[in-house]
Amino acid sequence: MNEELDSQLSAMFDDELPPAECELLARRLSRDEALKARWGRYAVMGAVIRVERGVRLNAALAGRVNVAISAEPALGNAVAPERMRRAALRWWQPVAGGALAAGVAAASVLWLHTQAPLTVAPLSARRPPTTAAAPVAVANLVPSGNNSYVTPLAPAVRPMLVPSTQLANYVVAHSMFSSPVARRNLLSSFITGEQTPAGTEAVMDEAKSNAQ
Amino acid sequence: MSADASDLSLVRRVQRGDKGAFDALVLKYQHKLVKLVMRYVRNPAEAEDIAQEAFIKAYRALPQFRGDSAFYTWLYRIAINTAKNAVVSRDRSPIEYDLDRNSSDESYDMQGRMKDSETPEGLVLTDEIRSTVNAAIDALPEDLRTAIVLRELEGLSYEEIAAAMDCPVGTVRSRIFRAREAIDRRLREVFEGGLGRAEELG
Repeated sequence: MNEELDSQLSAMFDDELPPAECELLARRLSRDEALKARWGRYAVMGAVIRVERGVRLNAALAGRVNVAISAEPALGNAVAPERMRRAALRWWQPVAGGALAAGVAAASVLWLHTQAPLTVAPLSARRPPTTAAAPVAVANLVPSGNNSYVTPLAPAVRPMLVPSTQLANYVVAHSMFSSPVARRNLLSSFITGEQTPAGTEAVMDEAKSNAQ
Repeated sequence: MSADASDLSLVRRVQRGDKGAFDALVLKYQHKLVKLVMRYVRNPAEAEDIAQEAFIKAYRALPQFRGDSAFYTWLYRIAINTAKNAVVSRDRSPIEYDLDRNSSDESYDMQGRMKDSETPEGLVLTDEIRSTVNAAIDALPEDLRTAIVLRELEGLSYEEIAAAMDCPVGTVRSRIFRAREAIDRRLREVFEGGLGRAEELG
């Protein structure tokens, strides 16, 4: 037997071998029966030196445990599915996160689409033939005690929405005459739902007259 | 160097499905575990049964072992709990009398249940092992004997032994290895001869 190997085995038995060498020797120890028998005798020597009275030394216990463990399933099979499940979770986590973010973004865009025409109601109101249709919020003025505010009797009726294609055409047609700044303002107000800036219409009218 | 690195490398192998690595852990700790269990039960055969059960429980629980504590500390706790449970259940269980069994069956059963270590040749072998190891230690040169005794009896690390013996750590490792080799040469003969005798008797 290789003396260096035996020296390493002795050091490993005492937990005095570097971890990297332990890894290599552990692999050999688990397969080499002669090495395992020597390892077992090292344990017997220790038991005798420590005067472990009453302890039997002919390794019958190890044999019985070996037989019992042989009937058990190998642990690698039990550990592997757990690791695979964790690995799958690790893989799915960013994908699921991305999908969730994309879903939220899509929902936001859809919500903006449904909300945006409301903000341009005044704009569409100026084009009766195409946008008219439904009555715009009917608010009855109800005299109250101090007449300081008005309350609608019936819930506000949602105005007829301007078809998005018409609105888009309107924006494109006007963008030909509007300055980049005004166009940006108009688009940004359209997207964010703000009222059209007061100056924008003036700028648009001016641009239209210049073009004519 | 991390203490318990050797146990941990064996444990990792078992966790990956290498049962042979568990044999090495059992061989290393079987005597310590039986001695530990004998604090709870006097009978050596019962102590071995409990130790065996503790090893099997440890094997089954190894997937949960993360290495936060030393393997032996973890095994020690399992053995203590197993021993306590065994003592409690033994005290609760009534004594069984099987009056229908005839005497020949009983003697056969007793033989079947008798552990190898309890058989006369097993006991003789244990005594022979003890006397062989003690004789081999007595025959060792002083520096080898001191090194192996400080390691096994006092549980000192190589560094502590080096400090005590005023020599490099590498020398300590070499002395302990040579001491073990000298003892093993004699011990191997006993094991091989003992097994041969047992087979002849069987």
